[in-house]
Amino acid sequence: MYLSGAAHIGQAVAGLWPELAGGGGLSAVAGSGLLAALPDWRVLVQSPTTWGLVCGAVALVLMLPRGSAVARVLGGVVGLVALGLLAAGQPLLSDWLAQGLFWILAGVTVLSAAAAVAMRSAVYAAVWFAMSLLGTGSLFLLQGASFLGVATVVVYAGAIVVTFLFVIMLAQPEGHATYDRLTWGWYAKPVSVLAAALMVAVLTTALPGIRQIDALAALGESGAVERSAGVLHPSHMARFGAELFSRELVSVEVAGTLLLVALVGAIAIMIQGRRQAQAEESAR
Amino acid sequence: MTTAALIEILVKVILLLGGVMTAAAYFVLLERRMAAWVQDRVGPNRVGIPLTRIRIFGLGQPLADGVKFIMKEEYTPAHVDKRMYVLAPIVILVAALTVFAVIPFGSVLPVDLGIEGLSEPIRLVVAPGMDVAVFVIFGLSSIAVYGVILGGWASNNKYSFLGALRSSAQLIAYELPLGLGILGVVVAAGSLDLEAIISAQATSGWWFILAQPLGCVVFVVAAFAEAARLPFDLPECEQELIGGYHTEYSGIKLLLFLVAEFLHMITAAFLIVILFLGGWHFWGLTGAGEQVGLVQAVLRVMVLSGKVFLVILLFMLIRWSWPRFRFDQLMALAWKVMLPLGLVNLVSVAILDQLRTAWQLDAWWSNPLLIAANWGICLLAWIVVAYAQPLIADNRPQQELELYDVDPQV
Amino acid sequence: MKPDDPDILWVQEPELGLAGRMYMPMFVQGLSTTLKHLAGSLRGKQVTVSYPDEEPQLGNPLIYRGVHRLNRDEQGRVKCVACFLCATACPAHCIDIIGVESPWPDREKYPESFTIDELRCIYCGMCEEACPVDAIELTSLYNLTGRSREEMIFDKEKLLSVYDATKDKEPMQSTRLGGTL
Repeated sequence: MYLSGAAHIGQAVAGLWPELAGGGGLSAVAGSGLLAALPDWRVLVQSPTTWGLVCGAVALVLMLPRGSAVARVLGGVVGLVALGLLAAGQPLLSDWLAQGLFWILAGVTVLSAAAAVAMRSAVYAAVWFAMSLLGTGSLFLLQGASFLGVATVVVYAGAIVVTFLFVIMLAQPEGHATYDRLTWGWYAKPVSVLAAALMVAVLTTALPGIRQIDALAALGESGAVERSAGVLHPSHMARFGAELFSRELVSVEVAGTLLLVALVGAIAIMIQGRRQAQAEESAR
Repeated sequence: MTTAALIEILVKVILLLGGVMTAAAYFVLLERRMAAWVQDRVGPNRVGIPLTRIRIFGLGQPLADGVKFIMKEEYTPAHVDKRMYVLAPIVILVAALTVFAVIPFGSVLPVDLGIEGLSEPIRLVVAPGMDVAVFVIFGLSSIAVYGVILGGWASNNKYSFLGALRSSAQLIAYELPLGLGILGVVVAAGSLDLEAIISAQATSGWWFILAQPLGCVVFVVAAFAEAARLPFDLPECEQELIGGYHTEYSGIKLLLFLVAEFLHMITAAFLIVILFLGGWHFWGLTGAGEQVGLVQAVLRVMVLSGKVFLVILLFMLIRWSWPRFRFDQLMALAWKVMLPLGLVNLVSVAILDQLRTAWQLDAWWSNPLLIAANWGICLLAWIVVAYAQPLIADNRPQQELELYDVDPQV
Repeated sequence: MKPDDPDILWVQEPELGLAGRMYMPMFVQGLSTTLKHLAGSLRGKQVTVSYPDEEPQLGNPLIYRGVHRLNRDEQGRVKCVACFLCATACPAHCIDIIGVESPWPDREKYPESFTIDELRCIYCGMCEEACPVDAIELTSLYNLTGRSREEMIFDKEKLLSVYDATKDKEPMQSTRLGGTL
């Protein structure tokens, strides 16, 4: 539970590229830090996940707004290839229902995220973002993490993106801002896409147990049940609340205080502005 | 998941959707008849069985309404954003329908069909044991705000957009009192699961309307506002302001918006019944435990539906009893009256609940005593808020009118 | 309008007591009014008239302004003297008269044709008031229907036939000319 980040990555690599973990064993990789945790290049080249990430990055570059129509179509095709490659890297689940639901939800999530980036209109981008969040929440629900799933929808889709939508609609009723048309130089697109692809790559490799079957097989049948028992317990919410308000009390309070300070600050700014306006009024 | 369990869920979904949609259609008829009766009119009573002269009190009216809406010209203005324009009613209807996945429409059905893999007894809720049911309802009602905003924005019309802003501001503002009203119940019941909340009321025999009167008032008012019913129907407000976010809609898309609004009302009625009126429980009639006979199980479904029907009748009576709030009054009610009252209720319920455990009150008089204490606190809070924040505003012009160029002829 | 205009009477809203501030009297008052009307309707005290299943009761048929008629005198001749006063008074310009020299000694002119466009008419009754000989009158016939616009342009014969149909139920209104009013 309290492993360092590098150890996490090592563990994940062991899950994703099992050839590597075969020789040295988990602990050896986990102990030797980030660089040592990087897999052999041959394994990397053979893995469809790597090529899926590369294709996805290329597709995103091609599909970014203000590109030519041909590039956008090409980007869509490459994106579909990327999806296929990423899917090929995933293990199959045992149950056809779970598998089908997972593919649908994952597809919706990833495609809406891509659409959020590729949309010309800011309103459309925000709506696609909300769609992607809904997909994420559903994936959480599929995993049995009902609170996390619903919280994602309530907090992100229900509150934050709605605020985005408000601001976008009030600021630019046509959905296009002038600053959207500014160019930031030729390097902006590739650099941002590269950063995004690298982040996705690191996150994918860092996620422990991405090869569910191998991970579960390593844990054994009883281990898997034990692992999900915490989430699927009938009074999971009560336990979660108790955890939140006992062990994580300080974090909760700090977050709450931060929000309170922000609230008071907003009110203070507003009152100051009004006073200023009054002073100007009386000066006139 | 076995095939039998899957089919069980599908059957429940079909039954629930069919039941709720039919109920919505007939509640529209009931609403129109009630409106007529309150205004000393007769109301729609002529549509019966098609092609015959049989009228049966106008029970064919919903069918005729539906056919009318479908056959009507579906006019899409040229200036709208087509995709969002189509998406908005779908979003709002889907959100309104999905809520029913976590709302129990009865207790359990103790029948053994002899099919392997079927849970026994059958729980009368589409997603049984949903630990975060209340939270799911919140999430979906916040998704419904998307339908409102997108509908107003996509119409590309100033009045639609203003209407969308108006109603989303209302929906967001009243989510707070709604949540505070629910929180009191959740604290007392110790669960976010609606089934658990009902059984908590059934086992103690004290419905939460008795235990937390102020929480009930706050929740009911907020539920009226969330369902956009009069006196809070600012989203629509067809007499004074323009129709709101669905001004530019017609035909089947308008029908989707209207059905979603009605579904919101039915959801609100279900929530009021489940959270505050004991759900399927009635003293000495339905029992309280998990083990029930078939008769009791059917009785529970009937009691729940009967209560929901009565609450919807109350919705309709209130519609014809109050004038609409002005927008500033609406916001003042949400932030200055309902929010403090909800907070008082929550804190009082939480403290009394702690006192019960701390002093180990489990004699026969402990429940009435604690409830009386809560009533006292709530009444006091209501009086204080009523004096501090009267809803009656002085509408006389406050500013110096000479400052403005007022035409003396007017 | 100035706020200090002495003609403006500022009405002070009544001070509310505790119950009023707690919104309770309004609650009870509003709901009881609603329930009163609801109960009345359910007992059958509705104001709706199910036309055409039942005929509406006109408050006073003699002053109701429905379809026009052209009155006849004692000898059965049209009473109109083609003075054009009704056509002049008509705000909707729906009366069209062609006056010719009268064949009878008691008047100079009579209408050769007298048409009223019932679709243009606004049923204000000014023609009735303008008529010096009480020839044109509005009857209490309210269910005026037709299948075409041409059918709704009433000529002299039609207007006289309206008189024939309604003279027993609604006698002429002027006492001077033998009416009952």
